[in-house]
Amino acid sequence: MARIPFTVLILAAALGLARAAETPAPPPAGAPPTVGTKLSAACDVPANDIANSGSLRNLGAKLARGEPITILAIGSSSTSGIGASSRSRNYPSDLRGILGKALAKAKVTVINRGIAGEVASETADRMRTEVALDRPDLVLWQLGTNDAVAHVDPSDFETTVVDTVRWLHDNGIDVALIGLQYTSRFSRDASYVAIRDALWKVADREHVLYVRRYSAMRFIAKTRAKLKMMAPDNFHLNDLGYECMAEHVAKAVVGALFVKRFRPVAR
Amino acid sequence: MARAPNSIDFWRGLALVTIAIDHIPGNFYEGWTLRNFALSDASQIFVFLAGWAVRLVLSGRKAQADPTAARMRLVRRAWTLYVAQALISAIALGILEAAAWWFDAAFIHDWLNAADFFGDPAGTTLGFLSLGTQLSYFNILPLYVALMLWAPAMAWLDARGPWLALGVSAAIYAVALAFRLNFPNWPGEGGWFLDPFAWQFIFTLGFALAGEAGLGGWARRHSRALTALAVPILVAGLLMVRFKWSPRLADLPEPRLFFIFSKTYLSPALILSMLALAATTRWVFPLVARWAGPVARWASLLGRNSLNVFCVGSVASLLAQIARYWTGGGLAVDTFLVGASVALALFTAWHTEWRASRSPS
Repeated sequence: MARIPFTVLILAAALGLARAAETPAPPPAGAPPTVGTKLSAACDVPANDIANSGSLRNLGAKLARGEPITILAIGSSSTSGIGASSRSRNYPSDLRGILGKALAKAKVTVINRGIAGEVASETADRMRTEVALDRPDLVLWQLGTNDAVAHVDPSDFETTVVDTVRWLHDNGIDVALIGLQYTSRFSRDASYVAIRDALWKVADREHVLYVRRYSAMRFIAKTRAKLKMMAPDNFHLNDLGYECMAEHVAKAVVGALFVKRFRPVAR
Repeated sequence: MARAPNSIDFWRGLALVTIAIDHIPGNFYEGWTLRNFALSDASQIFVFLAGWAVRLVLSGRKAQADPTAARMRLVRRAWTLYVAQALISAIALGILEAAAWWFDAAFIHDWLNAADFFGDPAGTTLGFLSLGTQLSYFNILPLYVALMLWAPAMAWLDARGPWLALGVSAAIYAVALAFRLNFPNWPGEGGWFLDPFAWQFIFTLGFALAGEAGLGGWARRHSRALTALAVPILVAGLLMVRFKWSPRLADLPEPRLFFIFSKTYLSPALILSMLALAATTRWVFPLVARWAGPVARWASLLGRNSLNVFCVGSVASLLAQIARYWTGGGLAVDTFLVGASVALALFTAWHTEWRASRSPS
């Protein structure tokens, strides 16, 4: 058992180094020198704004055994990469790059199954086949924005997420939920806030790793207003936005592997 | 003169209405359609009955006199469907663009997975024309085009022996599921949302069951036993759907597609559910026709004109999506939108027949 946190520590450190090597700008002064927290200067946000903790038991075990890991990135336009300068610049491919360097000894495969415009219930249906066929160890499910825009009832949305998360857990597959993006247009939209809160609530109740995309993006928007993270439509992300998203997801995943040592696994 | 209301048209009509409701995400009535109570959904009924309808077309007196010409007309039908698909896709893209502009909401370009088109219109136009790019919810017509190109071969095989078409169809289906064969998406990744190699099987099953010989004859001779068998299948499906049960992946042998509930690859459980529905619902139409005549007549009217109704319904569902975004939805809005969509579908069907009745031929 002791091998798991050790491996993860190494991975976390490697992740930090890999990011630091790629980005010449140093992190802002005063950032705690914890392993795995080194984000690029543009994407740096407080740890609290990146993720809520959750366990990734299956992934940790696989890594400890030195087995190759498969990650299924599923969701809507933020996963398929609408707004990026090319098809290959989406967050899952950035993530593959980051994790590939960080987990130099593990073979990491990231599968992208994003379909723009989908609401969560449609993605959930599709996921059952994708998961059965692709056999991922971790599912990164980006969701919520289209449900908010389509005015899906928050309690229906909640049911969809809970059912799917439990199904994944029952099948021994880890899952991380990746929340809605921050955009000034929807910052006061009741439906948007309701779906965002529902997702947060579900993640908390089901002990699922939850990437707080809204908080992270809002932090960057408020503190580095000149930084362009959004595509010209002010709704989708651009290359930098996807790069930050990938960094935040990578940090959340590595952080969740690390935190396992201190917390009992909750199911 | 339009044919009298009948069971096939009636169920096709209901399936069309159900598909339209299923294609308005988040609407209240979405929770009450077939897919919430059975493993199969309305699209499987529609394709099954499309196969059934091909049998009816080919067993008409004119078709019997010249089978080759009748089969060639199916190819012509494939072209009609292709044109319809191109037209409604173009209309849908136009509506999305108009709505995105009107509401100053670029994210509407994402709906129906149309974002690729607005990002790369040139490449995606080729995708639309080759059917390698399909809008979400607009996947049934491309499948239908492929099925209509299979139909002449199916009919030819069937004429050689009553079990031959079904045997070949089952073999294609089995190979498709074993090796994950699908038509490719292009220029995007992945495959068609409704895999023609898999879905041709339920189409051919509809065709075979409509016949007097082969499977159709066998099913009619054993209809009581089959109905008795179907009831537990439906109950099991209902329980699985309501209690969200599905097999544990680790317990499943290969190839998994035979054992999961995949709509894309039309896993056997979905086909079984569809067949069980067919076996147990024969009494519904006579009952409805007797006690709720208008419902039977109106649903049959929709089913008789399924292509036009489907096209108008697809566009209506998109407009309803936009209306839900604009108004915020809610029971009153959803009731109005579904009601208006059904009214529009009825008008379309009525108008199609009215126009036909006045044409000189």
